[in-house]
Amino acid sequence: MTGGLLLGNQALAQVDALVSEKDFLSEMPIVLSVSRLPQRLDETPGAVTVLDRDMIHQSGARDVADLLRLVPGFQVSNSFESVAPLVSYHGAFDAYSNRLEVQIDGRSVYSPYFIGSVGPGLETVAIEDIERIEVLRGSNSAAYGARAMLGVINIVTRDTADTLGALGAVTVGENGIRDNLARLGWGDGRGTFRLTADTREDDGLSGSNGQSRVSRINFRADIRPNGVDEVQLRLGAMAIDSGRGMAGESGNALRRFSFDSAYAQLDYKHILSADEDVSLKLSHTQESYTDSFPYALQQLNPIRNYLNDAAYFSSHPFSASDIYNVTGDGTASSDVVTLQHTLRYGDALSLVWGGEYRSERIESAAIYNTDSTFVNEFTRLFGNVEWRLAKNWLLNLGALAEHSSDTADSVAPRLMLNWHVTPGHTLRAGVSKAYRPASNFERYADVRYFWNGHQALQTVRGNSQLQAEELVSRELGYLGEFSNWRMSLDVRLFDEQIKHFIRMQGELPKSYVNDENFAIRGIEYQLKWQPWEGAQLLLNQTYTDITTVQPGDALAAPQLASTLSYAQKLPGQVHVALTHFDSRRWTSFDGNENDAQATRRTDFRLAKAMRWGSRRGEIALVVQNVGSAYSDFKKEFLFHKQAYVTLRLED
Amino acid sequence: MAIVLRSVLLALACALLGGGAWAQVPAPDGVARVLIVSSDTAVVYTQTAEALTDYLVHQGIPRSDIAQSLVSEMTMRLKSGQPPRPGIFVALGSEATQLLAAAGTQAPVLSALIPRSSFEHILRSHGKVVSARLSAIYLDQPLARQLALVHLAFPQAKRLGVLWGAESSDRAAGLRALVVASGLELQETRVTQPQDLPLALAQVLGGSDVLLALADPAIFNSATIQNILMSSFRARIPLVAFSPAYVRAGAVLAVYTTPVQAAHQAAEVTLGVLRGKPLPEQALEPNDFEVGVNAQVARALDVSPDAQALRSILRRLERLP
Repeated sequence: MTGGLLLGNQALAQVDALVSEKDFLSEMPIVLSVSRLPQRLDETPGAVTVLDRDMIHQSGARDVADLLRLVPGFQVSNSFESVAPLVSYHGAFDAYSNRLEVQIDGRSVYSPYFIGSVGPGLETVAIEDIERIEVLRGSNSAAYGARAMLGVINIVTRDTADTLGALGAVTVGENGIRDNLARLGWGDGRGTFRLTADTREDDGLSGSNGQSRVSRINFRADIRPNGVDEVQLRLGAMAIDSGRGMAGESGNALRRFSFDSAYAQLDYKHILSADEDVSLKLSHTQESYTDSFPYALQQLNPIRNYLNDAAYFSSHPFSASDIYNVTGDGTASSDVVTLQHTLRYGDALSLVWGGEYRSERIESAAIYNTDSTFVNEFTRLFGNVEWRLAKNWLLNLGALAEHSSDTADSVAPRLMLNWHVTPGHTLRAGVSKAYRPASNFERYADVRYFWNGHQALQTVRGNSQLQAEELVSRELGYLGEFSNWRMSLDVRLFDEQIKHFIRMQGELPKSYVNDENFAIRGIEYQLKWQPWEGAQLLLNQTYTDITTVQPGDALAAPQLASTLSYAQKLPGQVHVALTHFDSRRWTSFDGNENDAQATRRTDFRLAKAMRWGSRRGEIALVVQNVGSAYSDFKKEFLFHKQAYVTLRLED
Repeated sequence: MAIVLRSVLLALACALLGGGAWAQVPAPDGVARVLIVSSDTAVVYTQTAEALTDYLVHQGIPRSDIAQSLVSEMTMRLKSGQPPRPGIFVALGSEATQLLAAAGTQAPVLSALIPRSSFEHILRSHGKVVSARLSAIYLDQPLARQLALVHLAFPQAKRLGVLWGAESSDRAAGLRALVVASGLELQETRVTQPQDLPLALAQVLGGSDVLLALADPAIFNSATIQNILMSSFRARIPLVAFSPAYVRAGAVLAVYTTPVQAAHQAAEVTLGVLRGKPLPEQALEPNDFEVGVNAQVARALDVSPDAQALRSILRRLERLP
């Protein structure tokens, strides 16, 4: 109301190109309202690791998955065997990684196809377009829903106002590495826009069929119609074309597959005051998977008496020309509406609350043995109160209630207390509860193979009686800033109790059951230190103890994993970085204990930046895995040393 | 808010008593010794005129010696052939100053609530210089004060970013000299067209630790402020601005003179004139000011400037009482 009373309306100040007292006395629209001010790292309800643009750039990484090696507690695979490179936090229990949520600018890119997966979503945007990656280490279902059971990866793309002009980048190197990127940013004060097209290509892990190519196009518009409201539009598409399969495995033949996705997202934010705003988000995401290979049925002849319709097949042996086309084709889509209201009451209290409606559709005759569409609807109500109990005590209290059209309703609460012991030193303690209802595949999979109208085999059968997995997570954290030593320390001690863990079991047809209860316990820390000018040292270590009786899952995360990184700015705009990863034996994604391998890898990057007037450029040499090859995803898949050069030009 | 409310109540009370905010003036301005001419009816002008009047009355000037008028009204009066003949005109704002400077009044004219560049523009366009007949108290803060604030609030900052537009660029030479003397490094870009602003802003933010906003409607206005504040916040670069509205919008800090402070300084000068002193032959910098802090933004940027402490230190540095 002050705008009108104090000095007419805002337009008054704008018309005149000359300075007048109105420039000093007029009201201005509120810009940095409450929801635009992020929580400080020492006030978040949980551990957060932020990978900022400098870190991302200086890593030389070509995939988001690779970047997450820099985050304590993460397991990473570069393989395309499960469609795209995978990550998991505190345990790579399954082949697709479905206990983490991934969001890009607030849109979930968790793939509902497969058994749920974070892999394809991590490939959605070009690394060049990422402003930062916020990794919420620890259960976050109280804010992000079921899929955030073990953690959340929030990818924030760069604002279009920060990416004006043209950018081109080319990467070439060993192992068929060939990446290209072109980006154009334009606009003025009322709106800024960005279009980025890029491809990422290499021959994959040696021993695998992983020759892969990812092609993406992403558009983003930030429109500022009046200085108060904000409208953002995002559109994009991605295609992953890769090989998978193993030579000699007839049921997993060498073949090419493709995963295509596309999305549209519209965001609107309206600022009511410095202390209150509302936002609306609409998004549509679709994906399709194409994967098939021929299967010579003749090889089933020796066991045809054991096929499902044994009576038929025993009297009808397969001939050499009987070739079955095995497919995993299907499509999935989701439509989401989210409304959020953020409020601040004085200095002591702020509240975020809202609702979300999400509709997911999955169609696949190949894996569900039906032409009909599975529609799963989720309605969520969420809220988080941040209450400054006293000057140095902050309480975060949040919960998310979810109603699903298909599974039981659930409420995931969280309580976290942050105590600023002294300036720069914060202790955090909290407890949260999360649920992960079984995915559509785990509940309804029905993979059958028919020949001449007779059922030969059923390989997977879902279990509609599955209970949701439950997780109770307790944690203690410490965040310290030692500014005199230019050092910071982030420690998290965790105890994550999983109940009704969902596992695949049995002979054919395999099915899913709610299996044992077990715990993931351990401690992880990240130490950052700037020992001298231009230097940055990083040390992460994670000790994990998974108490399951299943030996493969007990090794789903290494007992000890460490990352040590040293980056140095040198005169002449030269930058060097050396990063070493070392982890004890782990079983990669859904491996068994016999496949468990230790991973040791050292990456090196040397870059020189250049400037000609307004033009900027950089040439960088990256060598990944300077030492000997290590196994990734499967024992036979090896990550060999690979070197590549990137040339980047910006105008 | 309290000030606004007070003014509203005051205006309301006046309206009840006298049938209009401007009708309260008891003296016909033909006999008034002080004639306050406001550029606009907006609350800030009323508030300044009221504070000025109250201060003079408090100093013993009879209320009947003080009259208020609006630019529109004064234009008619000046044209009427019976122009008012007070002992001093106090022009509040650019329009009132412009009118009185053009009219060439008999009485001296003191301009207040006016930015330096507006006043200089008016002088130039009428071929005048600052004199005992036409002087001013600036609304904007001296560059040295703004630089001192940056230094005090962000002692670690080495590089100061500034965006120059057509209206502000004549201050560039002055700022450069001060910046060199203070040991800072200046990261400056000239913006010639509105569409160049986003890129210029990105360039300046790329090489700055603090962004100093200097009033220029081509650069800082209600349409551009969103981009400027969001971009600088993303870059974690604090914006030091020139008005409380910018602090509410999201600038970490601002140093500014309030209408009441401007009124007090104008009243002191007016009083001098009434007592026979000439107007100062040089325009005056504002001798009182406030420091505004957006505590929420400061917290998010992990800085903790203390508005009151900063104001006191600045006043001590300038040896202000």
